[in-house]
Amino acid sequence: MIDSALAQAAIQLILLGLVSLLIPASYRVIVGPTLPDRLQAVDLITTLLIGIIVMLALVEGTQNFVDMAIALAAFAFIGTISIARYISEGRVF
Amino acid sequence: MLLELLGVAALLFGLFFCAVGVLGVVRMPDSLTRLHASGKVATLGLFGLLTGAALLMPSVWLRLLALGLFVLLTSPVATHAIAASVHRRREIVGELAESDSPVAPADMTAVDVTAVLSRSRIQDIIEAQERARRHQRPDERRTNDSP
Repeated sequence: MIDSALAQAAIQLILLGLVSLLIPASYRVIVGPTLPDRLQAVDLITTLLIGIIVMLALVEGTQNFVDMAIALAAFAFIGTISIARYISEGRVF
Repeated sequence: MLLELLGVAALLFGLFFCAVGVLGVVRMPDSLTRLHASGKVATLGLFGLLTGAALLMPSVWLRLLALGLFVLLTSPVATHAIAASVHRRREIVGELAESDSPVAPADMTAVDVTAVLSRSRIQDIIEAQERARRHQRPDERRTNDSP
């Protein structure tokens, strides 16, 4: 846990800011005129989620959330690569 | 105390660049410029957050460094793949527009490219359209144009 009140308040504020940033990013997922735009916005959302999970690790003061963030980064990379390959090639493998 | 102040400053730096990147993704006019904006979130924004977290909670700095290195390796590859798919889509749409075939709709942003699978598949569609047009008489073609 973080002891000082300043750091606690700052972490809560930044967590709130990151979560509210998810709304305009999902606007691009819904509106985005073409398929690569939506894929790119989903990639952006997973990047924001990694940041949110790191902030949650600061709030809780545990290491496990950072491991979750690493796993999310790995799976997001695989998903983005395969969907981008599907868009450009028409097939994944 | 100094570490905490530095950590909060780094967190605010990261939040600022996340906000700038998301603003760019919402406001930029083009796919590639939007990719440029979302790259800022993956590098500057996330690295600011990770640096702040490492300064505020020094016991997990090694895992945060591993996460940072992983994102540093994978994010350019993912961005490159998305940019390649944007480029490929533009190629397909350009070929459809040049081919002067009825496959090409008026509004090019509405083309579903995943339905058009590969270059040879486009060629097949265009040739089939032209073959069909050659076998049609002119009056039939006119009635087909206005259903």
